[in-house]
Amino acid sequence: MHYYFDTDNDDRTSRDERGQDHADPESMRDAAIRALPDLARDDLPNGDRRVFTVKVRDESGRYVFQATLSLIATWLN
Amino acid sequence: MSNPLTMKLEQGAELQASDRARLETVVAQTRKVAPREDLIREGEIPENVRLVLDGFACRYKVLPDGKRSIVAFLLPGDFCDLHVAILGSMDHAICALTPCTIVEIPRSTIDDLTQNFPRITRALWWATLVDEGILREWLVSMGQRPSDKQLAHLICELLLRMQVVGRATENSFFLPLTQEELGDTLGISTVHVNRVLQQLREDGLIKLQGRTVTIPDVEKFKQFAEFNPNYLHLRDTKDIPVSDAG
Repeated sequence: MHYYFDTDNDDRTSRDERGQDHADPESMRDAAIRALPDLARDDLPNGDRRVFTVKVRDESGRYVFQATLSLIATWLN
Repeated sequence: MSNPLTMKLEQGAELQASDRARLETVVAQTRKVAPREDLIREGEIPENVRLVLDGFACRYKVLPDGKRSIVAFLLPGDFCDLHVAILGSMDHAICALTPCTIVEIPRSTIDDLTQNFPRITRALWWATLVDEGILREWLVSMGQRPSDKQLAHLICELLLRMQVVGRATENSFFLPLTQEELGDTLGISTVHVNRVLQQLREDGLIKLQGRTVTIPDVEKFKQFAEFNPNYLHLRDTKDIPVSDAG
């Protein structure tokens, strides 16, 4: 199955026009989640609140999966 | 035009006509390798020293869980395993990424070169040291550079290396890598490779037509990548003396 992975780092959204094949939804899920630490690594520690998101479309264009990773940084004084 | 091995080694020593003539005979016997074919597998003990004369190959390792790491690209003129005679069995594998033309060089030929051709010997040392320099730079990239600069840095490097062997214009070359292969090289997910490539395109730093990469403004791109070519030790960077060894 072909899936498209749109990514967002709270600053820039990238719409996937190319997509990639996955044998099953679990494999797609893993690929989406694996992208989150890459997104975070490139942008942290900028800001106190950031949400990194991967949203996955199927071939019909319907969103079928979403994974987010959040930064919440707080001073404790 | 001379062969890519000679073109490359010219960067590492002041070759003379006799050296160039000898190198022509070194690369005379070639064979073809199909894409995805392993030139050599981990654990094998190669009989001959192999050289890529045309095409694009990579060194890689595979972990027990199947994850692959690409640790070097072999371009025309690059040796696959110059020092196998010293090291014994291969600690990694080498795979053709495109159709490749390979030269099989008997160890006896390498012995002849090192015993009778001091300038070529110097250039072979140079090539080995440059390989180490590239590996160091990749480690720095993987450890410290954000993915967009890491990818840009790799493209800058490949542009220069392809130019040395006459396989690139001043701002464009054929980059036959899938996004998965790029991910395995940069140590990032395929999804992130796609994002970063798109970002570089949107920002006008690169253009992709098929598998051809064009860099509209090379100086700007090098600045973005924070690219310093010193680790490639090319002649025009003038950082090492290239006139001695006979």
